[in-house]
Amino acid sequence: MSTPAGIYVHIPFCLTRCGYCDFNAYAGMDELKPRYLEALFREAELASPGWTGTEFVSVFLGGGTPTTLEAADLRVLLAHLRDRYSLTADAETTTEANPDTVTEGSLAELLDAGFQRVSIGAQSFDPAVLASLERIHQPASVRRAVEAARRAGFRNVSLDLIYGANGETLESWRRTLDEALALGPEHLSAYALTIEPATSLGRKVAAGDVPGPDPDLQADMFMLACEALVEAGYGHYEISNWARPGFECVHNLGYWERRPYLGLGAGAHAYRDDVRWWNVRPPETYMEKVEAGELPIGGSESLDPSDAYLEEVFLKLRILEGVPSSWFDHQRYEPYVQSGLLVDHLGQLVPTERGMLLLNELVLGLTG
Amino acid sequence: MAFSVQVDRGRRPASAGSDARRPRPYHWCAVSTEISRIRNFCIVAHIDHGKSTLADRMLELTHTVDQRAMRAQYLDRMDLERERGITIKAQAVRLFHEGYELNLIDTPGHVDFTYEVSRSLAACEGAILLVDAAQGLEAQTLANYHLARDAGLTIIPALNKIDLPAAEPAKRAEELAKLLGSDPAEILHVSAKTGEGVADVLKAVIDRVPHPEGDLRAPLQALIFDSAFDTYRGVIAYIRVKQGTLPSSATIKLFATHVTSEAEETGVMAPEATPVDALGPGEVGYLVTGLKDVHHAKVGDTITLAGKQGAAEPLPGYREPKPMVWSGLYPADGSDYSALREALDRLKLSDSALVFEPETSQALGFGFRVGFLGLLHMDIVRERLEREFDLELISTAPNVEFHVFRGTEETVVHNPAEMPPGGDYDRVEEPVIYATIITPATYLGAIFELCQARRGEMVDMEYLTPERVEVHYLLPLAEVVFDFFDQLKSKTRGFASLDYEPWGLQEARLVRVDIVLHGEPVDAFSSVVHRDKAYEYGKKMTERLKELIPRQLFDVAIQASIGSKVVARETVKAKRKDVLAKCYGGDITRKRKLLETQKKGKERMRRVGKVDVPQDAFIAALRVDEGARKK
Repeated sequence: MSTPAGIYVHIPFCLTRCGYCDFNAYAGMDELKPRYLEALFREAELASPGWTGTEFVSVFLGGGTPTTLEAADLRVLLAHLRDRYSLTADAETTTEANPDTVTEGSLAELLDAGFQRVSIGAQSFDPAVLASLERIHQPASVRRAVEAARRAGFRNVSLDLIYGANGETLESWRRTLDEALALGPEHLSAYALTIEPATSLGRKVAAGDVPGPDPDLQADMFMLACEALVEAGYGHYEISNWARPGFECVHNLGYWERRPYLGLGAGAHAYRDDVRWWNVRPPETYMEKVEAGELPIGGSESLDPSDAYLEEVFLKLRILEGVPSSWFDHQRYEPYVQSGLLVDHLGQLVPTERGMLLLNELVLGLTG
Repeated sequence: MAFSVQVDRGRRPASAGSDARRPRPYHWCAVSTEISRIRNFCIVAHIDHGKSTLADRMLELTHTVDQRAMRAQYLDRMDLERERGITIKAQAVRLFHEGYELNLIDTPGHVDFTYEVSRSLAACEGAILLVDAAQGLEAQTLANYHLARDAGLTIIPALNKIDLPAAEPAKRAEELAKLLGSDPAEILHVSAKTGEGVADVLKAVIDRVPHPEGDLRAPLQALIFDSAFDTYRGVIAYIRVKQGTLPSSATIKLFATHVTSEAEETGVMAPEATPVDALGPGEVGYLVTGLKDVHHAKVGDTITLAGKQGAAEPLPGYREPKPMVWSGLYPADGSDYSALREALDRLKLSDSALVFEPETSQALGFGFRVGFLGLLHMDIVRERLEREFDLELISTAPNVEFHVFRGTEETVVHNPAEMPPGGDYDRVEEPVIYATIITPATYLGAIFELCQARRGEMVDMEYLTPERVEVHYLLPLAEVVFDFFDQLKSKTRGFASLDYEPWGLQEARLVRVDIVLHGEPVDAFSSVVHRDKAYEYGKKMTERLKELIPRQLFDVAIQASIGSKVVARETVKAKRKDVLAKCYGGDITRKRKLLETQKKGKERMRRVGKVDVPQDAFIAALRVDEGARKK
């Protein structure tokens, strides 16, 4: 039997464009939704012959904001995927959601449609930080959304947080963590804010209007998150991800464990057997290609052994599985063990919390 | 560079044979000019005071160049010279006017070339002292005037640009007359731009400048006042025959370099190279020497004929070109080392003052320690290397040479890194210059302050007019190479002018300051400074490096030290975060590429001990606010 795989579906629609986001997402393109959905169904059909015999253990709707589509549409989409692909009975099915795009009713419908996991973009519970990130929702919306998900019956809720925005202090971050924990999510992601050049924030930072994140403060925030979340009973299973035991995200683990995945939708990435390919990014082009009966592939790359090796090391260190010390010369990794960035755990080199913060250095240092 | 023989026209000069078909000008046979009808003169002027324009007008007026062939500033050939508006090397043009042969010898106009100026002056009997009627005397003009006067030249003072609205001819004439101890009425008024008064200047040259003297039959003594390398014809010497006659082909001997050579052609610039049968006493022209190395025909040397007919003694006054300023030049890309060597070799062919030797720096790799006559010379060479040879260079901060005495032993150090650290010597001497500064009186205070801060010692001061002052200072050259000119210009809003000449050596309390990076000295940053300024230098460099060195996995101490004594310290704190936060959505490719980019960036860094230093950091740290210096 082949390695279990995942399906990623990209929904590029958003209510507004957030200041930090450089994903393939667009606000104000609502009129494209029906056509885009059709295109997704069509692509699923076109792509499916290439994946016969593959068993899928996860479906992940990301974006963009999948919940800008009606719950009924997402129901049809998931049903369509079930028809075309071999999903296991207990496959993890996630949709991302923006707090302002869900109600108890819509969430109940999503659950009924077969989505068992909802990942809510909370980002922060500090209104000033949300404003600085150019998010339109209020902290109260997050609480309301999580409560609605609970009432609707979701037993697997994840929250996304971002730390290090302009104006955020360690104290504010601690309150955000406390508020998030108070909502009792099964899963938490906490990302250090990265300034991407082609974003509203990126331009402001480049122009000197807004200071870029302070890496030392972000390091302190990371350490604080590690401490607070582990104390609250969450396992740290990837650099930016924590979960209650058994609630680690199967789908995202697939990326990091280099399991195959299929990507559907504009700009979605796919991977199998050391080959990576991706769809064209602009939704319009994507739809045109699919409507013409073509697979909308925009590019691909074949990983040569050195690329694959670099990825393997980099991803294995991220998920704290670690890499066998036997892969490296002793003198390469020993200084990192000495300086407390790696621990040699029965022949596996695993990053410490300090080491996770310097992962790029570790990867480059180890792979030379 | 002076004009090499017609090289800028891309063809060899016409041979005498083909010339035969052309009507020969009556002055064809040089020796035919009666010595009493020869005048050799030069123009002493500040940059932009109109020397080249005046020369152009003279060429026109004497029909030496016809109007159509006239191009502005005919005598400045090289592009770089054109752009900078200066003449780097002297050259000579023969003019005929009212039955007289007038040789106009162009003098270099910059502080770095004092010795070359003095050799050009030695080829003349008279000098036109040309002063901008709006701006008045400048330091450099004054210095060259003193040189001309000391050389016994007849001075013809002239005010130029009298057509300018801002011209103040009466005031300037008074200023000049005071300097010369003459009557303001004797001062000529000229507009080189419109041509007004130019004929009077020529007349004054004929009337006032004495004719040269010399014996046609005496053993040959010809002064080289400039030399150049021509790709086709080898070394061209620009000469003034003092005694005897130089035939068009002869076996010549050069005194200073002890070489002999078969000379191929004598000629004059009229203004294109024009061969002549011989050059007689008092005449000025060029000689195609048959030499292949410009260093064999040094400015100031004497040419005679080989064998018994040659002169026994050279003309007085020869001096070896002496580099005053040194800098390490390194290719930014180490693989360009041999290209840099070739480029320097090529430049040396036409620049006899350029010296260099290979040098290795732990931090910068393989390069050269290059000696220059001065800062302008350094800028010109660097710019030519970058522009004409397309090289990207890292240059260390300019330094002077130090004489280190230990017991009876004297060592001359051209690179701060070679200076014994921590005072392991008896004494150190540094070169001192005699600086002439002319400034509006309002800026005197600022100048005193600047010179004081640069360890200057005032010699004297004289009011040229109630508003303009001439000040003389003895200053350590090391202080002048370090942004002095910039400071002078900015503190006087560009009004003060500076000239200097070497004065000698003086003992000074100098120390070598090393910059130590995480325990490892960085040779490229070592500097020899006065003990009182060691802290200031150390602090400035450590602060600057703190901004330039990226954070590493450990704290990096940046120390400035004298021997083992630390005088300044900064720390680059260890970096704590270097991780791609989000790795999701399946776009692993991009993340891997980011890592690969980071890896390439690391590979491009230079390693100093355990510390990775980006190349840009070296360039930025070594940049000594050089911006305005060249202007």
